[in-house]
Amino acid sequence: MKKLTPQQLSVLHNHLIRNGSNDVLMGELIDHLACEVEGYLWKGYNFELALEKISAQANAKSIQYLRENYQRDLAMTDEQLQEATLDDIVFEFRNKAYGAYELRQSYQSTLRTAFFMGIGLFFMIVALSGGLTAQKWSFSSPLMLLWGLGVSCVAYAVWNWYLKNVGFDEELKTN
Amino acid sequence: MEPSNEFLRGTLKTIVLKLLHERGRMYGYEITQDVKERTNGEITLTFGALYPVLHKLEQEGLLVTQSEEADGRLRKYYSLTPIGTATAHQKVSDFERFVEAMQILLSPCEPPKLSVSMA
Repeated sequence: MKKLTPQQLSVLHNHLIRNGSNDVLMGELIDHLACEVEGYLWKGYNFELALEKISAQANAKSIQYLRENYQRDLAMTDEQLQEATLDDIVFEFRNKAYGAYELRQSYQSTLRTAFFMGIGLFFMIVALSGGLTAQKWSFSSPLMLLWGLGVSCVAYAVWNWYLKNVGFDEELKTN
Repeated sequence: MEPSNEFLRGTLKTIVLKLLHERGRMYGYEITQDVKERTNGEITLTFGALYPVLHKLEQEGLLVTQSEEADGRLRKYYSLTPIGTATAHQKVSDFERFVEAMQILLSPCEPPKLSVSMA
């Protein structure tokens, strides 16, 4: 069986992009067209000729037809729209596995972690520099209170980060 | 392809479910080839018609997918869930009944003898 090279696969990829294929179907369509091209190669065509045949069949019109069909059949129902977040709506028919969807989903918690981390470190630096200039440490001073606040903010941020990035993985492993 | 297109639209789900029930696990191109071979090219599924149906069935929970990397590209295999299997049986038997009814409609029948009742 003749197999397509990565370069030839990227030619197919470009063809699909130029003709406006859906993000979410891209991987499958590349495989589909690649199978067809391989079928032609098997019959003795060369790649260019096979590509011409495929392009005639998978032209802008048929890919547009696919896109319209897909968006009509898989559109969110009214109930789904009620519950959908803005992210869900923006990323409908798009490739969620690519990573941007995930980034947006976790944005709130990333922002919280970064906020507490920043505030905490700032308090700690202020308390530390204040303590260094005063050259003495007393547990009842406002600087010590600031230090304690800073440490707890940083601890919260680290815990938050741990839960999200490490804790979940272990949960998945045990499941 | 053109004349069968109109009839195909409503039966595409049934065809896909039936094939997956028999073959267990298939990818998109495999389904189009299988349909083409079995019907001697009489019915050709275009990718434009097939993939929306596959994704719709997956969304409805009738199919599950597995992605595998083959020759540097991602291949997505579809197979039936238990609900999918039950639906496949249901759809096939529904369609068989429909075809029987259609055959009755299409077969020539004798015109009613109006002259007798008129007399």
